[in-house]
Amino acid sequence: MAPPAGQFRPGRYLAFFALIVIGLYALVFFTGDGKPNPKLGIDLQGGTRVTLTARTPDGRPPTTESLNQARQIIETRVNGMGISGSEVTRDGNNLVITVPGEGGEQAKQLGQTAELNFRKVINAVPAAQPPAGTTPQAARQQGGDDKKAIDEAKALRQSTDPKVQMQALQTLNCAAEDPLRGNDDPKLPLVTCDREGQQKYLLEPVFLPGKEIANSQAQPPNPQGGHPGWAVALDFKSEGAKIWADFTSANVGQQAAFVLDTEVVSAPSVNTAMLGGNALITGQFNQQTATDLANILKYGSLPLAFDQSEAETVSATLGVASLEAGLIAGGLGLLLVAVYCLFYYRLLGILTILSLALSGGVVYGVLVLLGRWVGFTLDLAGVAGFIVAIGITADSFIVFFERLKDEIREGRTFRSAVPRAWPRARRTILSADAVSFLAAAVLYILAVGQVKGFAFTLGMSTVLDLVVVFLVTHPLVALASKNKFLSKPSVSGLGAVQRLSDRYRAARKAAATTAKEA
Amino acid sequence: MKVTTPGTEGARRESIFHRLYTGTGAFDIIGKRARWYVSLGLLVLVCIGAIGFKGFNLGIDFEGGTKIQLPAVGAQGPIQTDRVQAAFQDALGHPAETVQVVGVGANQSIQIRSSSLTVPQVAAVKQALLTEVQPLDAQGRPSEQVISDSAVSGTWGGEITQQALIALAVFLVLVSIFLAFYFEKWMAVAGLIALLHDVVVTAGIYSLVGFEVTPSTVIGLLTILGFSLYDTVVVFDKVKENTRGLLSTTRRTYGEAANLAVNQTLMRSINTSVIALLPVIGLLVVGAWLLGVGVLRDLALVQLVGMIAGVVSSIFLATPLLVDFKMREPKFREHAAKVRQRRERAEAKAAGEEVPPEPKQAVAAGSSARGGRPGGKTGRPSGKRRR
Repeated sequence: MAPPAGQFRPGRYLAFFALIVIGLYALVFFTGDGKPNPKLGIDLQGGTRVTLTARTPDGRPPTTESLNQARQIIETRVNGMGISGSEVTRDGNNLVITVPGEGGEQAKQLGQTAELNFRKVINAVPAAQPPAGTTPQAARQQGGDDKKAIDEAKALRQSTDPKVQMQALQTLNCAAEDPLRGNDDPKLPLVTCDREGQQKYLLEPVFLPGKEIANSQAQPPNPQGGHPGWAVALDFKSEGAKIWADFTSANVGQQAAFVLDTEVVSAPSVNTAMLGGNALITGQFNQQTATDLANILKYGSLPLAFDQSEAETVSATLGVASLEAGLIAGGLGLLLVAVYCLFYYRLLGILTILSLALSGGVVYGVLVLLGRWVGFTLDLAGVAGFIVAIGITADSFIVFFERLKDEIREGRTFRSAVPRAWPRARRTILSADAVSFLAAAVLYILAVGQVKGFAFTLGMSTVLDLVVVFLVTHPLVALASKNKFLSKPSVSGLGAVQRLSDRYRAARKAAATTAKEA
Repeated sequence: MKVTTPGTEGARRESIFHRLYTGTGAFDIIGKRARWYVSLGLLVLVCIGAIGFKGFNLGIDFEGGTKIQLPAVGAQGPIQTDRVQAAFQDALGHPAETVQVVGVGANQSIQIRSSSLTVPQVAAVKQALLTEVQPLDAQGRPSEQVISDSAVSGTWGGEITQQALIALAVFLVLVSIFLAFYFEKWMAVAGLIALLHDVVVTAGIYSLVGFEVTPSTVIGLLTILGFSLYDTVVVFDKVKENTRGLLSTTRRTYGEAANLAVNQTLMRSINTSVIALLPVIGLLVVGAWLLGVGVLRDLALVQLVGMIAGVVSSIFLATPLLVDFKMREPKFREHAAKVRQRRERAEAKAAGEEVPPEPKQAVAAGSSARGGRPGGKTGRPSGKRRR
């Protein structure tokens, strides 16, 4: 491919790149908090991370819907801890809780299914109907504000003063998001709504914790068994059976509320004393509602149980040590590459180092912005991804330089080799980077756990590598090839190849003359 | 095929490095392919045997357990591991599985590994460690906050691995499609065989040496695939270019053109590998020596092993395989026969007329990259450069 008719203007490309960099750093410094710091993962800054894996009863993958529901409930609880910067994210079939800094130990208990407790109903009043079509939306709030809201709600709705209780019962708005959700104190009375927002209840302290439930399942209609409609059967563990027997004996005719994460899911009346360690809940159930309630009683509010797959608390000291180690490793890697390139490519080596440095600058800026905009956190695996990407980035330059050498070997000058070598090198670079990006993308989409960070940084580096090769390395080499001093063989490191091509030419001439003589 | 260094009479043999640097095709890789097949085949067999009989040294993530890590410096100076073991024993009534010192210098820490502990048990151990060995925080005060812990369930490693294998399958399918479209059928097949070789060899080396396999290792293995193919793609790109219009000339056979391509990209392959490996080595040194444990070490080690395997296979396996596949097609075989005939004639002529250096031989040795492309591509005449 001969050079294109349009003159290649390196300056334009370089200017375009400069614009990109300026734009990038303008965004870094003038949007958000203006601090050029990427968001660090807990393994680099210290904190607690808990990975919860969803388990469905039938072993099928859980639905997205149920996972999102679970995420919200757990998030509410995490916010209740009042540590800012905490978050709960989905990762495949897992939920990952991250709590930066100290004091995240509690997070290890949040993964249990929603807390179910039994409270006796003192009073129930119908709730005002919320306007149709409005569903309370969970608003993301900072942990600190949450803490305050929870304390206020507790003071009002968990008071032991009957006057305050009545006031709370009057004022409680069932359509609003409940800050107390999952954070109520079981040892105090509670004023709360039911799940549908139809009823408001005043409840006694918890008399039986939900973990005493051994099993529960929906029962199809069974007129002989004493329930003509769908029902929910409950089995208690031994301790719970005793408490349940005592309670039902003492409270026939009263309502027992099943309170799940501060909401009343069901408040059946006690018809008889139940002494056998089990209970049958009947009411206006159909198959769906019976199954739902059975699941709630069994798992809490999620149709899923979560196993704690991984839980780690990283001390700030260890985090800093890891970050330092990562930076040292990266620095060491860059230094080694720089020395090797200089030794092997001389001038071109300098261009490589320059390109790598610029590439690093762009990567860092993008990293800061991603942390700010999409919450991308850089963890140790991500750092490793960048370090591995140094090789892939430098490789693009090498493909180009080796191409140049091929052209020079064929007898071209450095200057005339550049426009011919570039289009071919470009093709190879594009296809090779495509493969590498494909690997990173597949990994990012399908893998779980820390590796996502690794795949992400690897893929991102690959893309930015293309930007730098196209906008910086090629234009710079083109400029160098047009400069008298820089294209001297001793400077460019291409002397050996040039001498070689001269020798070939001599040999071919000699051969041609002998042939002619013959 | 004889290796001849082209040049004028009295040509000196250049050093290996020089031959590598200038990429003149002085290494006959394709011609000796039987040798590579046998040795790499043996290696793969040994690896499969090791995986089958010896299995892997699986890390904590596959068995489940708890790790507790604390700085190696306490209020009374360096912390002794037996004191740590004693504190653990006091707290729980049974000893930890292992207590070891990892890392160096300021990053030195003590790692305790045990069977799975509950949250209260971990808290008890931390409390006991605080009273017993008093690890210091950055301000030099004894603190419980400097103790890190991580608990992993026995199923987590399997979960990660399963996802990784799914990713592997998807990747292979996508890459096969990509290669088949971008190159041609046989290149895709050869590339994939080389890829499988890399996976098996890396896994086998892990099994043989007994390196610990963690989820990071499994994932690292996947990223190697990207790298290994990357290398193969570059070599094949050159092969494709060198063999364009090959059948319309009788200058060289497909095998020779491929050999030339390998030679021209040999230095690049070596360079790439060195340059890709340098950061990985840095990572390994820091991860294994400075920190002693963790993600950095696991990722770096598997990359190191895999990259070396990947480069070896892209040079010694992928291209030779490609040539063998191609040679099964009649048109390439006939072409190779034609090239041979032409050379024999030329040699007979040369012998009859006693013309000493035969430039054609130099060409056969892949010395000039002028061949293999249609004449129109050679552009400007090259012998007319003014000095």
